[in-house]
Amino acid sequence: MPGKVPNALSGVELPDPHMDIEDYDPDADLMVLNMGPQHPSTHGVFRVKLIMDGEVIVKAVSYPGYLHRGVEKLMEKLTYAQITPIVDKNDYVSPMINEQAVNMAFEAALEVEVPRRARWIRTILAEMQRVASHLVALGTFTLDVGGAIGGGASIFMYTFRDRELILDLFEELTGCRFHYNTHTVGGQRHDIPAGWAGRAIEALKLIDQRLDEFFELVIANPIFQDRSDGVGILPRHLALGLGLGGPIGRASGVDLDLRRDAPYHCYDEIEVKVPTRTTGDCTARFMVRYEETRESLRIALAMLEGVPEGPICSRKAVNSAASVKIKDGEVYVGVESPRGELGTYLIAGGQGGQGPYRLKIRPPSLHAISVIPYLLPGNNISDAIAILGSLDPIMGEVDR
Amino acid sequence: MDTIAAIWDTIFTNPWLHGLFFGIVIATVALTLVAWSIWFERKLAGRMQNRVGPVFVGPAGLLQPLADALKLMRKDFVVPREADKALFILSPVLLMFFALASLAVIPFGPDTVIADLDLGVLWVLAFAGLMLFPLWMAGWTSNNKYALFAGMRAVAQGISYEVPMLLMALVPVIYAGSFNLQDIVRYQADHSWFIVWPPGPGIVAFVIFFIASLAEGNRIPFDIPEAESELIAGVSVEYAGMSYGLFPFTEYLHSMIASAMASVLFLGGWSGPVFPGIHWMLLKTAILFTVILWMRWTLVRFRSDQLMRACWRWLVPISVVVVCAAAVLRYFLLAGGAP
Amino acid sequence: MKYIYRSFLSMWVTFRNIFRKPVTDLQFPRTRRERADRYRTSFALVHDEHGEEACIACKKCQMICPSDIITVVAGKKAESPRTGKSRGYLDDFTLDMNACIFCELCVQVCPTDAILMTRNAPRPEFSREDLFLTREKLFANEPMVTWATATKLAEMQDPDRGQDKPASAGEESTEAEAS
Repeated sequence: MPGKVPNALSGVELPDPHMDIEDYDPDADLMVLNMGPQHPSTHGVFRVKLIMDGEVIVKAVSYPGYLHRGVEKLMEKLTYAQITPIVDKNDYVSPMINEQAVNMAFEAALEVEVPRRARWIRTILAEMQRVASHLVALGTFTLDVGGAIGGGASIFMYTFRDRELILDLFEELTGCRFHYNTHTVGGQRHDIPAGWAGRAIEALKLIDQRLDEFFELVIANPIFQDRSDGVGILPRHLALGLGLGGPIGRASGVDLDLRRDAPYHCYDEIEVKVPTRTTGDCTARFMVRYEETRESLRIALAMLEGVPEGPICSRKAVNSAASVKIKDGEVYVGVESPRGELGTYLIAGGQGGQGPYRLKIRPPSLHAISVIPYLLPGNNISDAIAILGSLDPIMGEVDR
Repeated sequence: MDTIAAIWDTIFTNPWLHGLFFGIVIATVALTLVAWSIWFERKLAGRMQNRVGPVFVGPAGLLQPLADALKLMRKDFVVPREADKALFILSPVLLMFFALASLAVIPFGPDTVIADLDLGVLWVLAFAGLMLFPLWMAGWTSNNKYALFAGMRAVAQGISYEVPMLLMALVPVIYAGSFNLQDIVRYQADHSWFIVWPPGPGIVAFVIFFIASLAEGNRIPFDIPEAESELIAGVSVEYAGMSYGLFPFTEYLHSMIASAMASVLFLGGWSGPVFPGIHWMLLKTAILFTVILWMRWTLVRFRSDQLMRACWRWLVPISVVVVCAAAVLRYFLLAGGAP
Repeated sequence: MKYIYRSFLSMWVTFRNIFRKPVTDLQFPRTRRERADRYRTSFALVHDEHGEEACIACKKCQMICPSDIITVVAGKKAESPRTGKSRGYLDDFTLDMNACIFCELCVQVCPTDAILMTRNAPRPEFSREDLFLTREKLFANEPMVTWATATKLAEMQDPDRGQDKPASAGEESTEAEAS
């Protein structure tokens, strides 16, 4: 339609994902192509069965579950202190935020207050982890759109090089580059070493500069713009209906950010500017993540200037399996992870109070994957890969 | 000494021996250069990505291509059960054959050419076009849907981009008045490079020829037929071992030939002051090859329909206009133009 | 055309990067870079400051481990030669590095600071059995311990930690010579 560009707010006609394939055109020669669990581009082990008419996808059926490890069942026999290192591995790209979500649920059930310094540090770590996670998302999207051997790989290397600076800082703080086990019920386990704040400020400023380079290399490039403009438009009503709230929802006009609208920890003391778009295509999701990275850098830099003094944990250190006892309670806590709202629903009281009766995790990537049968039909494979890349699913948290 | 001079004379005068001797020499040199271009590319890519590239095998990683070749030769050559066996095995071989055959007419020096054909330009372009045929064969006979996709896309892209490539190769032909590559280079050696004078069509033709050769050779940004993130390895997805190795090898060889052709047609080939011709020829080819590699490691790829649109909506009309402009300028500006 | 112009701008960015110092300048197996003070890779059982084995085989580490990789076999209780009091002794201790998730919980719960983590570069082995840390290997790792002991971690997380202590002077006494 000349002159009218479809976007997330206008009524975009989406194909029916539940259509029975026999009802499709009987003269068409349909082919089943399996974008199988081993595939260099899908983020993790994830299978999508594509039914194609020539080069155009007619129906897409997704089969998650290849990475199911029974985490929630495992929680029923673990104590509260043991859960944190296990839950690190759900959304394995942003472990700080996973730990924060789970420990906030425990603290809410125990009704224990976290000291101010610990809350401040948790916020800084969450923002730095958000930067690191978005760098991964930006890099892997360009890798999908460009080449694994080729232009995409260069850009991917640049984002990972910058992410290494953050990971080095985390190593100085906790001892592990990745999967830290540094949050605990009541606060933190590791305190900021001497000089860490100064080094962190330097590193984050460097990443900010490098993002300018990234902009010029990728976002301003018309080939990249051609690949992702107008591809995979997600209408706002579908995003709301499927429960998408993170960068994907914000790219489609859902102006929701838990850091601003339901602030926890120290987010009520700082101003969080939330980027939104209304176009809802891959470029919008990419740009929302890019702008969120800038915003998180700004927040972390501002907070690193004035870390308050005090203890970092309001309970004594865990020194046995029965250290943390929660008699009963039922809480739900939602935090803003780089992919959306990461929720933890805890029913306490199992194992004699030492562990949860049921711990359910609401993974934002699971909701992201559920748009695939809606978005993929009508595109060809190149666009399908671009859409999957822009949704940035992490299979660890989809399957748990 | 006399016998050596006598042997040398017979080689030069007897066309069969001349072709055979120079064929062996140039083919060997070309294949060695291609093998070490793998080293060069990996070092260049490494530096562009802030890492070092191969360093372990040999000093500064120089024996890496040898290690790669040995590794590939050791691997198990698997033929899928439902595949068309003869054509499956023949495809990479044919690909290599056509790529090497197009080397036959490229002049590396005033006397260094295997076959001084009067239709040199057509020879090279014909073999570049023929190379699509084994690619498609590999895609079809692999009995694999991903390979089929890649093969179809490769053919569609290849035959589309042949049109601007041919048209732009006509521009030096119009200027020099001959299809013979040595004549084209001699004309540029005596007058000036076609990219510079006559002004206008030369540089546009060079750019379009370069882009079209990139698309013929399935290089980024036109490498949709081999897009790894979508189609894993493109047509060569079912191949293993050295038969797989021949596919990227031929891709590099084709890139080198495209660079050599671009430098012969537009940049003056072996002409240049002071140094002997072959040095200039290799230098120009190397510079263009580096630009090809540089583009590969920087840009993201086009989608196939955008690729097609770029060709048919932009490159072909511009090529037609450029050819006409070249003919007009030749008439007025170049020696031997106006009757 | 803007494609060609913008592509050249992108290529200029990659060109500039050629002249930056490569991040992977050190070649990994030949040289290893200096890791952070708190970096944790492997384990060690230590002797206390009087030379006795610190481990009293209380099995708290075995109970807290989320991956169930520690197996402690307690020996007979005996009198300590130094204090004369009866204390537990360790018979056998196995830690399966194949499955360790490096969570540091075993270090945190130890009442006698017996099991610590080390900072040495982990050695790859050729078989799974070699990755089981036996009692001998664990005691052999003793010189390479890093800073974290249960006491220090408890101090760091103490809710009554002094308000007058400046926050930026973190608890930094590392007892390690890293290898």
